[in-house]
Order: sequence, then structure tokens, then C-alpha cells
Amino acid sequence: MFEITVDGERIPSYEGETIAAALLAAGRLILGYTAKNNQPRGMYCGIGLCHECMMEINGIPNTRACQILATPGCVVNTQQGWGKGEE
Amino acid sequence: MRGKYSTGLGERRGIELMKTELAIIGAGPAGITAAIEASRAGVAVTILDENPKPGGQIYRQFDEGFSIIDADMLGRDYSRGQELLREFGKVAHKIQYINHSTVWGIFDDRLAYQDGKKSATLGFDRLIIATGAYDRPVPFPGWTLPGVITAGGVQRAVKIHRILPGSKILLAGTGPLQLVLADQIISAGGQIEAILEAGNINWFSFLPGIWRQWDTLVDGFRYLRHIWNAGIPLLRNHIILEARGDGQVEEADIAEVDKNWRPKLHTRRTLKVDSVCLGYGLVPSSELALLAGCEHRYVRELGGWVPLRGEAMETSVPGIYAVGDGSGVAGSKVAIEEGRIAGTAVARSLGRLSITEAQDRIAIFQKHLSRLKHFCGTLYEISRPRPGLYELARKDTIICRCEEITLEAIETAMAANAASLNELKRMTRSGMGRCQGRICGPTLFEIMSRKEGSQANEPGAFKPRPPVKPVSLDVLAGNPTSTS
Repeated sequence: MFEITVDGERIPSYEGETIAAALLAAGRLILGYTAKNNQPRGMYCGIGLCHECMMEINGIPNTRACQILATPGCVVNTQQGWGKGEE
Repeated sequence: MRGKYSTGLGERRGIELMKTELAIIGAGPAGITAAIEASRAGVAVTILDENPKPGGQIYRQFDEGFSIIDADMLGRDYSRGQELLREFGKVAHKIQYINHSTVWGIFDDRLAYQDGKKSATLGFDRLIIATGAYDRPVPFPGWTLPGVITAGGVQRAVKIHRILPGSKILLAGTGPLQLVLADQIISAGGQIEAILEAGNINWFSFLPGIWRQWDTLVDGFRYLRHIWNAGIPLLRNHIILEARGDGQVEEADIAEVDKNWRPKLHTRRTLKVDSVCLGYGLVPSSELALLAGCEHRYVRELGGWVPLRGEAMETSVPGIYAVGDGSGVAGSKVAIEEGRIAGTAVARSLGRLSITEAQDRIAIFQKHLSRLKHFCGTLYEISRPRPGLYELARKDTIICRCEEITLEAIETAMAANAASLNELKRMTRSGMGRCQGRICGPTLFEIMSRKEGSQANEPGAFKPRPPVKPVSLDVLAGNPTSTS
């Protein structure tokens, strides 16, 4: 087990888990807010098709949390709209 | 960084202008068996797979770091997958297996894919498309709330990671796979509030007839017993009408439905749940075959758009074959036989098998297939989406999740004579987003083609354009970014 940082908070994760899985296990369902209506969204298809689980992962916005494996020290932020990457 | 799975030939990856005899897209049951047959006959095979390991969605392998405590819990379906993967293992050293790779374009005899953080192309003499299927999206008020997840997504979390989607779970949908998911959730210690089956299915009398078709159902009665023992209401002729909550699912309205799946509103009631799993059957992932120019038709029995194919699984484009659920949802057993047929046919067309050898082999697989097809019809009939399913959305319900397009906007465009999905896309932006119409496309087809008095009874499919999956400009330009 190790930890990842989500919106500044530490979340436990296991090797082989995707970020979306670790967040689901932690009961954090809201992964981002939509660009147009600012509506909360979470993982929907869970297999990489729908892009509803887009988050800022290690500074890269619009990254599908269901497709990226959690690694120690991973920094994840809830995405607002189109997201902000590292400048 | 992601681990790489090597079959021994992985070092060849990344070479400019790679070429293979047979390229296979997808390593589920159909892709694997196609590779086995072609490779055995001496064909040089390259498989491109989005997943870390072969197996596809159904035989998804456990990620590193997880060990299997109770293989029995996974059922015979799992053992069948293991058997297939062992068979694959025997020829794997001859096969180039490229994992984590997403094919985003097909250009004549060359396909383009994203391999981790770089873009590459692969030339081929023959191509087998085995891209599989995904859960049918069904819009209803509240379906975009966090906590509403497809059955496939939940299954991946429960089966692979042993993570439950919530503490009070509602399953809504149709068909036998719901029972499989329920059993997996129960085994993992989850609490299911109810299982809603939209169809009029009495599983106890129905199961014996269909489980020879769906290998996952070999354990069907055991699933039912587990559901029964756990005291979970298994409600047939029931549907979810709405999900509500502040930021995430807190409750769901359900109701009994008639034979057209239209709700009897006096039966409407509310369940306190924090998770909704939707399993309304599958739709084929047909965008790559469409992109390759293969002629398609819409077949409701097979889930949606499917390529026209000959006996040997060859599409209307010579040299391109399509197999498995991606060319018509019929389950893993059918996928396995189709894969074997296509792999054998490719070996024959490349001169690695004589005509008689190939014919003899294909005849055997065809015989297996025709036996299976008998059950497909029955299975389809019970869980065929009825009209009421596509009448749940309200005016303000989002239909296109990516572009946040409501039913009202869709109806306005239809009233302004949008007669096809492509016209609808131009008028509303529906289908232009990141999922590229995978989620709204099946719904829009059903809404348009079912509309009475509409000129759009044959609304067609979204025209796929490369890249069919998002690729960042960095990757296209060959600039690997620093993080995984």
C-alpha cells in the first residue's frame, strides 16, 4: 500500500489500482466539474471510453483516471472544466 | 511508469515503419483465438491491445500486486479464460504483443496507434478488427450524477480490485450479466438494495435454456442462490426512472413497467442508494471498422452497427476481417469461434494453409458457431431494449455527456429537419466531444429512428474520423511528456 495526493488530501492506494479505483474505494465519487454547466461528474463507463473521469493527474489535465495506474506520490486534482495544466 | 508485458519480440517496437503480415486490434477472446490460429500456421502476427495484458474485458487478468485468494469465486468463466490464455501462451513467443496501445486510425494498409506516450504506425497485409463491445448507454434524469456507473465499469472495480461502488447499491438493467455482477458484489461483501430486471424474465425457468451460450452463466443457479440467500429483491419488469442527489447519487426512483418497458407511474417509489450500476446489454465498438470503410448495417439483435461479413469473417474491404462482440454482440463463445475462423482464413489467404486444410478447419468452427447461434436469438429476445427505455429522458436530461447537449436541443434540431446523426452533430455538437459519439450515438440512433412521422428512420451512424480516440499533440509530434 502507498498514498496518492488528491486535492491535497492523502488517499491510500494499492499497486495495480487505477486512480479512479483508488478514489472509488475512498468514496470520492466527484472527479471533475463540466465546462459548460459546472456539473459534477464521476466515473461512468470505467473502461476508458466516455472520458467522464478526466482529472488533472501529475499536472496533466484531461487525463482519464480510469486508465492511469496509481503510483506512489501521484498528485491528482479534481478537474474544473477544461482543467489547468502546469504552465 | 506502466509495466510492459513482453512476449519476447517487444524490442522491435518503436521502429519506424514497422510492418507485419497480420495485425490484430484487440486481445479479447476473438483477437486471441485469431492470433493463435494464424500464428500456428506460420503467419507473423502483431496484436495491438489497449489493456496491460491479453484477455479483454471478459478475461481481464489481474494486475500485478493482486493475488487470487478464491479462484472458485470467479467461476468457470474465469477458468475458461485461463485455458484460452494458456493456449495463447504456447504461441505467444511467436507473436508481437503490444500492450497499452490505442489504435486511432486506419489508412489503407497501415494503422496508426498510440503506444504509451508515443505515436507509431504499423503496416499490415491483413487486418483483423476485434474491438469488443461496451455497455449500452441509457439516458434518464440523473444519469450523469457521480455514482451512476456502467455494469462493465463496476465489474472491473469489483472483480479486479475488489472495490465496491458504494455501500447501498442498486443494479438496473436487463439480461443475465446483471446476475453475474450481483454475485461478484455479494462475494466481495457488498450490499445490494435491489436488482431491477426490465424484462419479464423468470430466471429459474429461463436459465437452463440459455446458459450454454453464455459461459458466464454456467454458474447461473449458484448466482441466483447467492442473491436469494442474501435476501436481495430481484424485481422483474422494473426499471430505474431517475437518480437524485446533491453532487452524487443519494436516491433513485424505480417503477414497474409494462411489456414495452413503459412505467406504471402509480408503482413509482424511491430507494435510498448511493450507487447505481447500469447493465442494459452491450453495443459493438464499430468505429474502426467504419473508419476502414467496411460496409455496415444496423442490427438491433446484435446491439447496433455491425459490419457485413462473409463466411470467413472478411468484411466488404478485402483483407480486413472483423470478429467478436465488436462485429455483433453474441458473447465470448461466439467470439472464440469467429476468431478461429478469421485466423485460419488469413493463414489460407497468405498461402500458409492449403485450401482443403483451411476449409476443414473452418467447417469445424462453423459447426460450433451454428450451434451457438441458436441460443443467441432467445437471449436477445428477452433483453431487447423496448421503446420505454428511450423515453425516460426529460427535456433537460443530458444526452451527449461530452458537449452537455440536452434532449430538448436534440428535439429542436430534429424539428428543424435533422435527418441523420451527422446532421444532428453539425447542428447541436452532439457527438463531437471526447468520447466521439460512443456514448450518445447509440441513444441518438434509437431516438431518431423511433420517432413517429420522422423522415429520419434511417439516421445512419456518426462518421468516424481519425483520431478515433483522443491523442495529444505532444504524442502525435513525438514529444514524450515526462509523466505517465
